[in-house]
Amino acid sequence: MKYLTQLGLIFAFCLVGDLIATLLPFAFPGSVLAMLLVLVLLSTGALKEQHLGESADFMLRNMTFFFIPPGVSIIRYTDIIHTIWWQLLVVNIVSVIICFAVTSWTVTLVIRLQRVMVGGRRG
Amino acid sequence: MVEILSSPLFGITLSIVAFKIGLWISQKVKNPIANPLIIAMIIVVATLKVFDIPHEYFEEGASFILMFLAPVTAVLALTIYRQRAVLMASFFPVVIGTLVGSIAAMGSVLVLSRLLGLNEAIIASLLPKSVTTAVAIALSEQMGGLPALTIASTVITGLGGNILAPFMIKAFRVKDPVAQGVAIGCCSHALGTTKAMEIGEVQGAMSSISISLSVIWTVLLVPLFL
Repeated sequence: MKYLTQLGLIFAFCLVGDLIATLLPFAFPGSVLAMLLVLVLLSTGALKEQHLGESADFMLRNMTFFFIPPGVSIIRYTDIIHTIWWQLLVVNIVSVIICFAVTSWTVTLVIRLQRVMVGGRRG
Repeated sequence: MVEILSSPLFGITLSIVAFKIGLWISQKVKNPIANPLIIAMIIVVATLKVFDIPHEYFEEGASFILMFLAPVTAVLALTIYRQRAVLMASFFPVVIGTLVGSIAAMGSVLVLSRLLGLNEAIIASLLPKSVTTAVAIALSEQMGGLPALTIASTVITGLGGNILAPFMIKAFRVKDPVAQGVAIGCCSHALGTTKAMEIGEVQGAMSSISISLSVIWTVLLVPLFL
């Protein structure tokens, strides 16, 4: 019964997220809204970790599994992809590398700046 | 005989078996190239091809697994909550990092696509590919892109981030776990986040929060790139 309650709660939050998404005037995914909703409820104490408990941890531990179907679905689009496959691969992979470098360096830089400012205030 | 395989249980069982084999191989090989997700995908596709099983049969079960993508995303809140102290301490680095990262993702797509001579419809399909599939499709449609191309690009990007993350962390000498997590989540959404969670708890949590922040930045900024 515990697991059913946990799953029921998680599914209900997803439905609320989808509901909020339909009310918004712009495109925003219901799943991400559900994530933010759960985060707010946890932070305010309205929701406790054990309310999501083992069911949530089961999903998190096996998260990669849930991405097998979307991965396999690429083969359905081979007719669209095959004429521009190498350009597609280059743009997608190179942009990931650029994005990763820029993001990680920006975060590192801001962390350093923050330390300097906090240190400066103390000094 | 083959009709038995049209049951949703077939696609689910095949995925579980393929995933188990993928995990087993990746633990034996202990090399980031032996990615469990890629191995599982290859096993599924090969099984369907070798036994000539219609793709629709697999999709019966796949739709049940796909249904779980929203709950899986929602419970990422738990990983963020457990690392709330780190998030509070790194609030500005995370917010600014995802903003600059989202601009870099879209800017690099635009420049690379132009260099390779891709047309406007393809560029519109690729621009939002760094964020989670649901938003990427919606934005792509708004700008006149092709949803199928967006789905494929989102998956390629996620897989790319997932596989390359350990190498990029080394190559770019990213020592800070917060910076590692934010970069993975911002560039390769939930699919990359699965790798961030393998690397560490802080990385997983920062990657998770970066998914939502990069969605916000991308929704706000994507019109500037077309």
